[in-house]
Amino acid sequence: MSAVMPEFEMLRPSTVEEVIAARNASSSARICAGGTDIIVNMRHGLSETGTLIDITAVDELKRTESDADGLHIGAGVTLAEIAELPLITESYPAIAEAAQTIAGPTHRNVATVGGNLCLDTRCLYYNQSHWWRKANNFCLKYKGDICHVAPQGNRCRAAFSGDLAPALMVHGAILEIAGPGGPRRVPLADFYREDGADHLTLAPDEVVTTAHLPSANGVSAYAKVRVRGAIDFPLAGVAVACEKLDASSHRFVVAVTGTNSCPVAIDVPDTLGEDQDPDAFFSNLNKLVQKNVSPQRTSTTAAHYRRLSAATMASRLARQLWSA
Amino acid sequence: MNAPVKDRVAGRPTPLVDGIEKVSGKAVYTADLETSDCLTGRILRSPVSHARIVRIDTSKAERLDGVAAVVTGADCPHTFGVIPIAMNEYPMARDKVRYRGEPIAAVAARDARTADQALDLIDIELEELPSYYNAEQARAPGSVLLHDDKAGNVEREVHHEFGDVAAAFAEADLVREEVFTCAEVNHAQMEPHAALAEYDRERDRLTFHSVTQVPFYVHLTLARCLEMDTSRIRVVKPFVGGGFGARTETLNFEIITALLARAASGKVMMRLSREESFITHRGRPDHHVTIKIGMNDGGRITAVQCQVLQRGGAYAGYGLVTILYAGALLHGIYDIPAIKYDGYRIYANLPPCGAMRGHGTVDVRHAFEQLIDRMARELGLDPFELRRANLLKAPTRTLNDLMVNSYGLPECLDKVEAASKWNERHGKLPSGRGLGMAASHYVSGAAKPVHWTGEPHAVVTLKLDFDGGITALTGASDIGQGSTTMVALAAAEVLGVDLARIQVVCNDSAITPKDNGSYSSRVTFMVGNAAIEAARNLREILVKAAAAKLDADPEDIECAGEAFSVRGSGQSILSFAEVVQAALAVDGTITTKGTFTCPPEAQGGKHRGGAVGSTMGFSYAAQVVEVSVDIDTGQITVEKVWAALDCGFAINPLAVEGQIEGSVWMGMGQALSEETHYIDGLPVHANFLDYRVPTIVESPDIDVQIVESNDPLGPFGAKEAGEGALSGFPPALANAVADAIGLDLSFLPLTPDRVQQALIKARRDMKRRKVS
Repeated sequence: MSAVMPEFEMLRPSTVEEVIAARNASSSARICAGGTDIIVNMRHGLSETGTLIDITAVDELKRTESDADGLHIGAGVTLAEIAELPLITESYPAIAEAAQTIAGPTHRNVATVGGNLCLDTRCLYYNQSHWWRKANNFCLKYKGDICHVAPQGNRCRAAFSGDLAPALMVHGAILEIAGPGGPRRVPLADFYREDGADHLTLAPDEVVTTAHLPSANGVSAYAKVRVRGAIDFPLAGVAVACEKLDASSHRFVVAVTGTNSCPVAIDVPDTLGEDQDPDAFFSNLNKLVQKNVSPQRTSTTAAHYRRLSAATMASRLARQLWSA
Repeated sequence: MNAPVKDRVAGRPTPLVDGIEKVSGKAVYTADLETSDCLTGRILRSPVSHARIVRIDTSKAERLDGVAAVVTGADCPHTFGVIPIAMNEYPMARDKVRYRGEPIAAVAARDARTADQALDLIDIELEELPSYYNAEQARAPGSVLLHDDKAGNVEREVHHEFGDVAAAFAEADLVREEVFTCAEVNHAQMEPHAALAEYDRERDRLTFHSVTQVPFYVHLTLARCLEMDTSRIRVVKPFVGGGFGARTETLNFEIITALLARAASGKVMMRLSREESFITHRGRPDHHVTIKIGMNDGGRITAVQCQVLQRGGAYAGYGLVTILYAGALLHGIYDIPAIKYDGYRIYANLPPCGAMRGHGTVDVRHAFEQLIDRMARELGLDPFELRRANLLKAPTRTLNDLMVNSYGLPECLDKVEAASKWNERHGKLPSGRGLGMAASHYVSGAAKPVHWTGEPHAVVTLKLDFDGGITALTGASDIGQGSTTMVALAAAEVLGVDLARIQVVCNDSAITPKDNGSYSSRVTFMVGNAAIEAARNLREILVKAAAAKLDADPEDIECAGEAFSVRGSGQSILSFAEVVQAALAVDGTITTKGTFTCPPEAQGGKHRGGAVGSTMGFSYAAQVVEVSVDIDTGQITVEKVWAALDCGFAINPLAVEGQIEGSVWMGMGQALSEETHYIDGLPVHANFLDYRVPTIVESPDIDVQIVESNDPLGPFGAKEAGEGALSGFPPALANAVADAIGLDLSFLPLTPDRVQQALIKARRDMKRRKVS
């Protein structure tokens, strides 16, 4: 019921070093860029931080650069920008498409790449008011002892719901993270872990600064399973990249969001060669995706639907990219 | 002051007269009212679904610095409810709580944070009782009663039979019966609930602002619950951001805000969150509709038998009206010789349901229009031809004694059939794409108001003064539907004056005449007629003054475009200003009044519950929906909609068009994606992410056509326009889906997961059939 915004102090550093210093100064300090996720959660009483670090004045996070190594997208670049940037729409279409599916235009104008990659996990038992969660004895993710989604289990099943992560993953993104000891790099898939209550391998005093993408050598696409064509978080989101290895064979890379507590990279072991039956290949890909995702009762839409539709979208996108 | 009026104003598309404030952000809604000197009100809500209240201790909260008042159920021993014979709800629970989120206590404090702290300090002890979340459990033998006087948790049973149903089924060539389920939906109006109450202890007066559609009912209820004389209360309705029925009865937070203001001897602003607005609910109940229809080979319906089970939530509210409407509106659209109806309104431990756009008819119409489509298919009949085989002929009275004076359904059918190129395209679209149609209707106001006092159903007064401006005073509540503009147009039309000369002042009980409120689509018909009468009375005064000045007989005075002259004389034209001056010289400021009362013959049959469904006239609608269905993901896309509505006469065609589009769109929400979800009585849907109102992406192109059947009693022939087209959408969509994928789906909403599941089941069944 409580819609009263808790009191907090807002810092506005202008360099990454200052951001890290601010995080060091308060272990509960949270980073805020567009605020489209954290502010909503704070109003719901889901964060008790007394300090928000507004990073929108950190210019070095707002750059997108291209060089011989590939493309480097700053964590502070907005979703609206990457949805339209020719560098991205032309060479990394899955990323632009994923950005374009997120929330609504006003969100995309302020929401950032870093924010979407670090998006909190979501669950119908978690994204509720304080009154609601208290009446339901809270949950494993926040203040409670059990996961209402899987009461017999011992971990939180909340679903990772960022759209950008799978699209960046199929393009082989490496994240650059700044911390007190200097910058470190981590493959995007390793940035996450399958635990809805603790899904980021990001230390409290670190900040994501850049997503590095190697030069693109193929085509890609993103499809989002949702009830409505706007606003909704993904029930499942699928990114597929297709690389032509030689005249007749193709390799596919698939990643899925919305079905697990972290984005799932799906290892597609086979390539589609000239001698293979494409129908059988795409049908196997469909089954492979079904096997590799594990949606739970974290939304009002049936988990089974999310599994089947993620698989359908994966094989559909793969076929589209292959036949194009 | 003398600009000539060239054309009639009624019938001309006119932007809403209060639209500029809305689109420019200047409109002041309840939550925008000045709060610098206000206390903040907050409500403590039940954490459980069903419990006896053992103890409430507010002493710690009362001692908290900054707290001005704490109230509980003990502060109001009076029930409230919109139906005088079914008031069983307290503004704050007294003996028991019956749903999660029910108000238990409330606090007024210097700010929201302090109020929240105070709520935390209120100690409640509850003794839990078994809870029921569906109608079957609630009415199972041995279930604990929510209300001691309602055996089996049945709020109201209705059993109506008109004609010899058994004999009529025996005559039928084809009889089919199906069960349809429709999920509960909520209005999801854009503006969350809010109220502002100011109590003046010295004078014992209460001034109250709220988001209501029914200021008059709120006024009566505040007087009852606060034990105040109605003369000491002033109710004002500011701009309202949507109603759709959510606010057609007094709501608990309104009474609580007033109780807090009095207890604090001050001014209290109560702004509910979106979640609380959802919990306050009053939406369309979950329905189980079992419908059986008999037809002859030509598609002529011989008999209908319908059983409706509504899960009404924890309190009565409008419940008995909803369950009566569901049966009554089986009538009034087609010529059916025999209809049997059995309705059951059941209590459950969930937020109370209420009236919602298309009140009572939507889910039953959904079942009816789908079943006759399926039967048409079996009989090899075109869906349009089937409806045409069952048309009424106006004027007529229905089996249940409802008055039908005008009937534009045949023309509505013709228009959407032609516009959609139905005959060329139906059944011939590629697989996965389909066309469906349905017809619908709705009342233009309940002919018998819920508070029967013998007063006129509507009153409008006009004031004309030295400035030549005409002020229309009305209690009609504009909730975005355009009633303020309608009043201005009606008066301007009769007076022959420029629309800009008229200002409409609405909804201040200290100034404007009483009006029952904006519900059951009553306003255009009743208030429109009252406005016309008031304008005629004013016109008569002006004509008389002009006659005196021109030394002519009033009957010879011609008045058009703000100019008065003697008919045929062609000379000595008096300007409006001159005539006004002459009229004012007689008696000063002029006020006139117009009233409207529904005649007894419109007020329904003599059977129990016969007043519900009774109306001055029905609107009629037909629509065609084109869909495509993704057979892998179950996703339905509405490609295009053709809708035609008979509103009698479009006083403002622009507003009528908007209302038809809004009806189609709201029907689409219910059909595709909107539904409430509760987990053990906790609402999961109480936000705009999980309560999936369609977005602009889902909004199809809507081809709107207006049919004007000229109702003999309507204002300029007008009837309602805001609800009639809604109930046709869900069945037209389901019929289109059946055409697209060959599956008859008997549930709402048609969410992708449910559609996908049905497709998988159908494939499995087909495989099994092939094997065997």
